Amino acid sequence: MSSREPEAKTDGLGRRRFLKTATAAGLSIALAPLHSAYAQADAGDSINIALVGLGAQGRVLMDAMLKIPGVRFVAICDIWPYARTYGQRYLKKNGFEVRAYESHKEMLEKEKGLQAVVVACPDFWHAPITNDCLRAGHHVYCEKMMSNTIEGARSMVQTMRETGKLLQIGHQRRSNPRYLVARNRLLGEARLLGRITAANAQWNRAVSADLGWPNHTAMTKELLEKYGYSDMHQFRNWRWFKKCGGGPLSDLGAHQIDILNWFLDVSPSTVIASGGRDYYSGHEWLDNAMVIYEYKLPEGTARAFYQVQTTTSAGGGYYEQFMGTEGTLRMSENPKYTQINREAAAPPWDQWISRHLLAAQKAPAKSDDDSSSGNDKVDARETAELAAYYLPVILSKLIHQPHLENFFNAVRGRGTLNCPADEAFKSEMAVFKAIEAVETRSLVTCKSSDFIA
Amino acid sequence: MSDSQNPTPDSGSMLALLLLRAWLGVRAVVTGLEKFSDSRTLQVPLLDAAGKPDSSGAMVEVTQKFYSLHSYHAIPDSMKEKFSQEPLLPAFMTTPYYAVLGWALIALGLAVLVGLWTRASLFLMGLLYVSLTFGLILIKQDGGVSWLAIHVALIAVALSLTKHNRFALTRS
Repeated sequence: MSSREPEAKTDGLGRRRFLKTATAAGLSIALAPLHSAYAQADAGDSINIALVGLGAQGRVLMDAMLKIPGVRFVAICDIWPYARTYGQRYLKKNGFEVRAYESHKEMLEKEKGLQAVVVACPDFWHAPITNDCLRAGHHVYCEKMMSNTIEGARSMVQTMRETGKLLQIGHQRRSNPRYLVARNRLLGEARLLGRITAANAQWNRAVSADLGWPNHTAMTKELLEKYGYSDMHQFRNWRWFKKCGGGPLSDLGAHQIDILNWFLDVSPSTVIASGGRDYYSGHEWLDNAMVIYEYKLPEGTARAFYQVQTTTSAGGGYYEQFMGTEGTLRMSENPKYTQINREAAAPPWDQWISRHLLAAQKAPAKSDDDSSSGNDKVDARETAELAAYYLPVILSKLIHQPHLENFFNAVRGRGTLNCPADEAFKSEMAVFKAIEAVETRSLVTCKSSDFIA
Repeated sequence: MSDSQNPTPDSGSMLALLLLRAWLGVRAVVTGLEKFSDSRTLQVPLLDAAGKPDSSGAMVEVTQKFYSLHSYHAIPDSMKEKFSQEPLLPAFMTTPYYAVLGWALIALGLAVLVGLWTRASLFLMGLLYVSLTFGLILIKQDGGVSWLAIHVALIAVALSLTKHNRFALTRS
């Protein structure tokens, strides 16, 4: 399997966009741009799929797909025999006898009944494998980042357009009902936050050791080099190497920077950033980074701060927070980090509470010796503590399941993609811009044309 | 006949007692009923402004309060835990006390409301609040003690006015 870059074409064949507008109480909101390319459903509800990449993320997707009716695993592909064996055994336990391949090209040649391929291999293989699958006539669900290079990501959008096949990118928050309601109803319909002036997001992780492997499972140097890896350490820890992945800003940041762009409904105009290899000695990518984006919103400028730390878990979890003149919304895939706060001078939120768009949090019980009751401010200029609410929307599925369901429903011709490749490209370009700002140590200016593949 | 032999009805005192009976009765009945309450979380579809399910298919958790015999809890678990550590409140005393507390509040509250053996009912209600006060003193809940003291004072005032009792099922 050798990587090749597809030819660049920029025509948008057969593609249309919808900008759905919902109106309520005289206010209009812009809903998510939705991909309009309906797939041709080949054979009823059953969809034959292959899974390429059986690492940690591939296994997460596999578990989610096993819960979706009609998804039929027929093949898996991974260069590591250990992972292939795991995948075959795991799927057999769950009722699927699958054929296993080392090379995706061989898989595409032999598997004639495939309808869709799910790609969860290391980033630098996303573009070549996705492009080959699309050209073989299959719809593709590909994990983010689309690629570790801008050219690779752009080629995927172009191949999607050339082939007319569906290409969903794995920004799974875009199909999470909690995020959909927060964006479309709270920010859009209710305009709960007033004018958004700032945002911040973060994902901080504690120091962790590099991934290892059972000695007897190690691949030969020849096999590793055939697929672009120097050694087993690089294969297992590809995220930290520039030729394979994009580092933490790409792995963790891509999800959250996507939410900044999606919720603000615009791409950033400038980026400044700082980051570096501060701790780990055996990695090529930065381990900590802080980024400031500037967004030109219709009602004025907003700034967003993003930080990713892989040397400390401090900072209160992972979330994306939007701050406005009338309230603040902190979103996270983990509901325990999600919170909504109302500014004291904001209009009442009663109508939104009665419609279950948000709910008042129970006040914590005060202890008998709580001497702070009354006034716990140390400075008269402090803003009083804000009333807290929570988002009552629940997701009772695995977090990747709704996004995969959205993909398979689109394959069946029963809906549109929530994150088609051209939409994902905008967010991923914002990540590339942040990496550029870190590396050049300068203000990076973004043109609107930068975000169009 | 002199005034002392045939006292004229004191409408002010009668109304004062009626108010006290109403307040103390409602206070006790509702407090007792709340001991049979609980809440459950339901999952229902989120509706849009037109009342149709949201296009995202989102489900929301809605908390619903309900009453049932199975939900009976005499006092909060946190408080029960504190009482269990008090040597002056052994289990053989607290267990039956917890079992009857809710029923006693409802029964005494109803009796005071409708004027059924008003004097005795008020007195028993006062004793019930004194017993609660005993526990709260032990666990140093001074706020609760003060709160109950107000209740007991109101009962004492009501008892002093029982000669003006009207609109009651029984005379005493």
